[in-house]
Amino acid sequence: MTATVPTVSLQEISKRFGPTLALDAVSLDLLPGEVHVLLGENGAGKSTLVKTLLGTYHPDSGQILIRGREVAHHNPGVARDEGINVVLQDFSLAPTLSVLDNLFLGRQPLRRRLIDTAAMREAAERTRELVGGTFSLNAEVGALPRSEQQLVEIMKAVMGKPGALILDEPTAALSEKEAERLFGIVDRLVHQGWAILYITHRMAEIRRLGTRVTVMRDGRRTGTHLVSAVTDDELVREMIGRDITAVYPHKADPRHLGPTVLRLTDVSSANGKVRDVSLHVRSGEIVGIAGLVGAGKGDVARVLSGLEHTTSGEVEVLEYRTSRPQIRKMLAAGVGFMPEDRKRESLALQLTTADNINLEASSSKAHGRFGFLHRGQLREAAISMIRRLDVRPADPQQEVGLLSGGNQQKVVLGRALTRPRKVFVVAEPTAGVDVGSRQQIYEELRRLCDDGVGVLVVSSDLEEIVGLSDRVYVMHSGAVCAELVGDEISDEAVIAAAFGHGADEPTARVQEAV
Amino acid sequence: MTQLQEPVQQDAVPAPETTAGRGRRYWFLKAFATAGPLPFLLLLLVVGVTLVNPVFLSSSNLSSVATQSVYLLLVSLAQMLILVTGGFDLSVGANVALTSVTSALVMQSVYGGVDEYSGIALIWGLVVALLVGLVVGLVNGIGVAVLKVNAFIVTLASMGIFTGVTMLVSGGSEVSGLPRVFTHEVGSGRVFGVVPVPLLMILPVIFLLYVLLRRMKYGKSLFAIGSNELAARVAGTRVGTNLVMAYVLGGVVTAYAGWLLTARVSSGQPQLGAELAMQSITAAIIGGASLLGGRGSVGGTVLGVLFIVGLTNGMNLMRMDSNQQNIALGLALVLSVLVSRARDRARREVAVMELDQGATPPAAGPVGSLPEQRNPLAPPS
Ligand SMILES: Nc1ncnc2c1ncn2[C@@H]1O[C@H](COP(=O)(O)OP(=O)(O)OP(=O)(O)O)[C@@H](O)[C@H]1O
Ligand SMILES: [Mg+2]
Repeated sequence: MTATVPTVSLQEISKRFGPTLALDAVSLDLLPGEVHVLLGENGAGKSTLVKTLLGTYHPDSGQILIRGREVAHHNPGVARDEGINVVLQDFSLAPTLSVLDNLFLGRQPLRRRLIDTAAMREAAERTRELVGGTFSLNAEVGALPRSEQQLVEIMKAVMGKPGALILDEPTAALSEKEAERLFGIVDRLVHQGWAILYITHRMAEIRRLGTRVTVMRDGRRTGTHLVSAVTDDELVREMIGRDITAVYPHKADPRHLGPTVLRLTDVSSANGKVRDVSLHVRSGEIVGIAGLVGAGKGDVARVLSGLEHTTSGEVEVLEYRTSRPQIRKMLAAGVGFMPEDRKRESLALQLTTADNINLEASSSKAHGRFGFLHRGQLREAAISMIRRLDVRPADPQQEVGLLSGGNQQKVVLGRALTRPRKVFVVAEPTAGVDVGSRQQIYEELRRLCDDGVGVLVVSSDLEEIVGLSDRVYVMHSGAVCAELVGDEISDEAVIAAAFGHGADEPTARVQEAV
Repeated sequence: MTQLQEPVQQDAVPAPETTAGRGRRYWFLKAFATAGPLPFLLLLLVVGVTLVNPVFLSSSNLSSVATQSVYLLLVSLAQMLILVTGGFDLSVGANVALTSVTSALVMQSVYGGVDEYSGIALIWGLVVALLVGLVVGLVNGIGVAVLKVNAFIVTLASMGIFTGVTMLVSGGSEVSGLPRVFTHEVGSGRVFGVVPVPLLMILPVIFLLYVLLRRMKYGKSLFAIGSNELAARVAGTRVGTNLVMAYVLGGVVTAYAGWLLTARVSSGQPQLGAELAMQSITAAIIGGASLLGGRGSVGGTVLGVLFIVGLTNGMNLMRMDSNQQNIALGLALVLSVLVSRARDRARREVAVMELDQGATPPAAGPVGSLPEQRNPLAPPS
């Protein structure tokens, strides 16, 4: 390294949570003008490192230097004054406050000792344009969709004092368009001499943005490399300790597919995001739904789970037919769900891993009588599920809110797997999940198919759609605009369809496709 | 891991414009999300009661509604302040009783029946009342923010403790012999023959609380603490200190109400304000505050109190008995919670509609230059 003083320097930082040594003497420099990517499995300690930098966690040992000076009593206030701006992996906005109030929380410009709203608005409008948000600054943050909330978080960070920007999986909830915009902002900040720490599980982003990459494993730093001097395979090996030959499992043999287990006929949703969608899933196949954010793919899953009302059309699961899906009836009919927004829609964060895995099982008759639960049985079930999905730490009594992001995702999947199903509807199954675990999750889904289940996967990850699906529906502004089978499924074909290639008349193509 | 990347020809495809102009539904939802149902309900109440009994709108009745509202309003504002932080305060009634008794004792002994000492007695009474409020608030605040005990438990306990202290101090009996200025002017005086003095005496408090919550950093940090403590912490807020200050402020405002109420009833009373805890929570919730924290406003609370007092007054005028009145108030509370849920939905819908509205996405590709090298927020160097 050159003689530049690192904007931030961590030296031999250790942090223990009970039995878990989350950080084990980790050292890391953030230089002005670099994008430093931090790579590591779920639970490797990345977010813990970020929170230490931010000052919400205090290291058990080690030092933090900011611009060469040691910080004695680190806390978020100090971090902010020193220009350390952080986008946390978890939601850190106040949902009942307006966008504007959130952006300037604790640092409102004052005029005669009162908050200068006009000045706030002016500065915020400029930055909103920069990140490409279209939300109203008066909107309550909690009322916005998840992707817009993420934009607000990013706005908040880049509006801070210049210095360092730390992004913990910022693209997990963003569409490709917004992500690209974020990359643009990162480029620009780097150009201005900011130091950026960027955490991601997406290898492509390392190539797109990174200057250097540091790999972490089990709380230790295993190495730091120039991005140009290392291959993806080397990084993966260093990160998970083994080679991954094939991330995606085999595909289904089209001749051995079973009967149709899920069918949607001309379904439209009340919010207008799903328009006359018809599709079906057969037993033994994985069907992907692709499309840009806002194309309505997530809304299809929400319609099926009853979170979004239908205005017309019909849904069929085996013998069960309905024009208004309700979650309880759908579950009873044999559908399993894995929702997109794990924090808001599926996890009970204060409960333990075991309780969360068993949340659905304990409401079924199999595990108890007269409302009493068979505790031993439930515990066994939870432990075997934790092992099957490699949730870490493998402690069934761990509070789920304290698990790392990717491990929370595995718990959600684990819950869906506790009951035998005929159909699975999974949305963004691997958001925030590391490469190794991703492979396990794909294998798990494929195994279900081999046992005769039909799986519907909604995903914004193109590689996942192409690698995993036996058949793909592509959506464009609420309608299915293409259906691709077998060899037709390729990056190019999906992209072309998703961008509405020839989509002036999307409905015409629906009929053609179905 | 590769996400869908934007192909080059994308520019050629026009973004689908989903909406054309803001419809009536949008404006309706927007009005509902912003103002809530209270203005409408109040209007309904006024019209309804007046049709049955026109006395409702007479200046003497309105003035008495205003007087009755004053005390509940102060306490409800204090309650709202605590609700905003995500806690609540069951000890407001005990606070009122204690301030009533102690300030009355002090005023009685300073005054001693000598009219020249009325003024100084008044001031001493107020100072002691506010000090008592400060102590009560401090106890609650330390329990909640430093010892980190649930607000329900802390204020339930302090309610018991301070009720006990009140009984010890007063021996369970009324404290009379208060200055005439206090009981007649502060208690039930009128300016220009119509405007009640106590109403004038709380206007500055209302104004200050309004400015505090809307225009001061401290107020915003209270909302943040109640809404998402992590967000507040990350913003560098000293959560504990701010919480203690909120409880102290709430205690002092409540004590002020206790002092004013003492003037109204002309003596220090150990039983004063027993019903205030429930009433103030009801009023604040109807006025838009939430037990989950992060919500509440001065304006909403004022309307909430007017609604409750107006409804009670109206029911009196319509000769409904107290049982019927209790049922009606209970229903109003439940209804208000249901309505607030609908309001949340309206907020979400409006936010999304506004998203679509703003759909003139700036050109794709790398963003234009950052506005300036120096950040707009960086302190001037
Ligand atoms: N507050 C806490 N209490 C107890 N354990 C914790 C706490 N925070 C983190 N851990 C544990 O520390 C380890 C590291 O977690 P961390 O969140 O840093 O992982 P991560 O690398 O960010 O993973 P992911 O990619 O899934 O986000 C995990 O085993 C996690 O369970
Ligand atoms: Mg993490």
